[in-house]
Amino acid sequence: MRKLLSMSVASGLLLTGAAIYVYQVSQPGTVRMRFDAVVGNKPLVFNDARYSNPGGAGMFRIRDFQFFISNIDLHGEKGVYRVPDSYYLARFDNSSTSYQINLANVPRDWYSAVTFSIGVDEVANGSIMSVGDLDPNSRMAWNWEVGYKFLLFEGALIDSDTIRPLVYHVGFNENRKTLRFNLPEEVAPDSSDALLFTVDVLALFTGKNTVDMAALPNVKFDRDDARLLAGNYGTMISLTARP
Amino acid sequence: MESGGFGSINKSIAMLSLCGVMLIAIIYGFVAYIEPKPTPLQGFTAPFVFGKFRVPDDNPLTQEAVQLGRRLFYDKQLSGDNTVSCSTCHLQHLAFTDGKARSVGVSGKTLDFNSMSLANLMWGPRHFFWNGRVDSLEEQALAPIQDPNEMAQNLDDLIDELEADDVYPGLFRSAYGKISAENIARALATFERTLISADSKYDQYLRGELKLSAEEELGRKLFMAHPDVKVSLRGGNCIDCHSQFLTSGFNAQFDGFSNNGLDTEALLNPGLQFTTGQVTDRGKFKVPTLRNIALTAPYMHDGRFTTLEQVLDHYNEGIRVSDSLSPLIMEADNQPQDAVNIRISLNLNEEEKRAIIAFLHTLTDHSFITEDKFSNPFDADTMPDA
Ligand code: HEC
Ligand code: HEC
Repeated sequence: MRKLLSMSVASGLLLTGAAIYVYQVSQPGTVRMRFDAVVGNKPLVFNDARYSNPGGAGMFRIRDFQFFISNIDLHGEKGVYRVPDSYYLARFDNSSTSYQINLANVPRDWYSAVTFSIGVDEVANGSIMSVGDLDPNSRMAWNWEVGYKFLLFEGALIDSDTIRPLVYHVGFNENRKTLRFNLPEEVAPDSSDALLFTVDVLALFTGKNTVDMAALPNVKFDRDDARLLAGNYGTMISLTARP
Repeated sequence: MESGGFGSINKSIAMLSLCGVMLIAIIYGFVAYIEPKPTPLQGFTAPFVFGKFRVPDDNPLTQEAVQLGRRLFYDKQLSGDNTVSCSTCHLQHLAFTDGKARSVGVSGKTLDFNSMSLANLMWGPRHFFWNGRVDSLEEQALAPIQDPNEMAQNLDDLIDELEADDVYPGLFRSAYGKISAENIARALATFERTLISADSKYDQYLRGELKLSAEEELGRKLFMAHPDVKVSLRGGNCIDCHSQFLTSGFNAQFDGFSNNGLDTEALLNPGLQFTTGQVTDRGKFKVPTLRNIALTAPYMHDGRFTTLEQVLDHYNEGIRVSDSLSPLIMEADNQPQDAVNIRISLNLNEEEKRAIIAFLHTLTDHSFITEDKFSNPFDADTMPDA
């Protein structure tokens, strides 16, 4: 009698435990993505003319650097999870010069790749609705006839005693760059560390074509110039190699 | 028997008085702790182009709070000597500014700063005052009350005065419960949140209700464009700092603060540096809304310009260089820049400057400055010792 009782209690407990486990692993969870900024092989320090003009003379300083990450897709065994309203303004003016995205409610799955864009898609770029970090009254908005800046870099080039302002505002639909990263090992929500990416600010001037900041101190609405920088920023993000 | 009778009478008296005391305690407790149930504000709307806004969870917009806040805003009792109210320096017909270069309060001493318009405070930078030193309207509201030069009022004295008043205890009870400094601040902040200016000619244009004149339209285009000589795009670059719909600074972090070239390095006022402690923020100030700008002269944090013509001359040819000067201002030029010698100028022509001013005039909202709900409630009802 007693044996029977304890056995049924034990199996009851076991079943509940199993049920809780099954419930938990079927629940959506969080996937984190962290972007750490560097400038070539140096750390990112704002407002300090410590970096050399990659294509010419002078040293440059960075006053502001921000860009849009959008349309994040996680590729898993069960299919592709498209993060809803994923418009994130990545900025690095904080003590760790990093930007973190926490994707909540990600369906339980094993994900082996992630894709996202630098810039925003055509529909969002032509809209004045506030979605995610998109805000038509923000610094990244040109005006409703032109759309959003995808990437903003402002600073100065200092050569002997001349200070030249540097203004790189890059947008236009054709300059959205979609990147794909195959993860070294599959990740599941909640169970893994953040996905680590490195953003190399210098790649904006060295990625595919080296830019002499003195010759090209600003890029705004000229399509060819914008395309040149977009080609470069398409190379600026990489998965951080784990030690 | 008699003594027994007396004894039971004594007992009943004792019981009765006990019951009485309990009853009083219950009633008192009920009155003191009953939660007021204020009515959510009806018909509160704002244009979607203004974007998202946040009202603090612990200070929802309610009719009672708005009514109380409005009264407090216009009440001179809020100052130490009962001569100055918030509206002394924030007058409705001037879009809640005071027309002075720099404001003057109870002390008679001229303050360091120009009064600021109180339109659309729920949008734009979430930091208040020219140097961004407070983060909420609630926090802001208690500053002028206590400032010895503005209203010079001790908060405990103010609470005593309001408690002795005929009207305030009831208004506070139905809006928040008790009279406290916190609730005074909440009520003022709530009233200020309702001060929405969204019916200017520009708004009507945005809603498709009318067309701008050719000059206003040219001004709008220039306002909304950063110039680029490479693609022959002329612009006044105003939108680089004054957002397209709100015309105020940006709301993210301190992005809505900037140095627009008013002073040389040596003369720079600390500005945002006062708040953040960062040298790189020296000389940056809150980018103010330009709504109703034609009504809010004099201009800039110290009221140095008396006309919009002077403002445009400043942006076009009067920029002073300092280390934190916006690179967007340094770079914006409607003429090709000489690579070596950069003379900072927008190089707009006279017609273009006039057009931008014409556009700025489309930001005037007559219904905002005449709206009854924003006006002095003491003008309507009987004001004790006005
Ligand atoms: C003596 C004149 C004076 C009085 C009285 C006064 N203000 Fe002001 N107000 C100013 C000035 C000047 C500024 C800008 C001051 C600064 O930046 O330091 C200002 C700024 C503000 C701001 C910040 C707006 C922004 O966009 O950052 C708010 C809000 C405000 N006042 C509300 C009030 C309220 C509420 C009261 C009454 C409790 C009040 N003021 C009383 C002169 C006054
Ligand atoms: C680099 C950023 C920037 C740009 C570009 C800019 N402004 Fe401003 N604007 C500011 C700041 C900051 C202030 C407040 C400065 C101060 O008082 O110290 C201001 C103040 C003003 C004021 C006075 C507001 C008041 O209430 O006193 C007017 C008017 C104005 N700007 C109009 C314009 C126009 C028109 C343009 C385009 C020709 C323009 N601004 C371009 C940043 C900018």
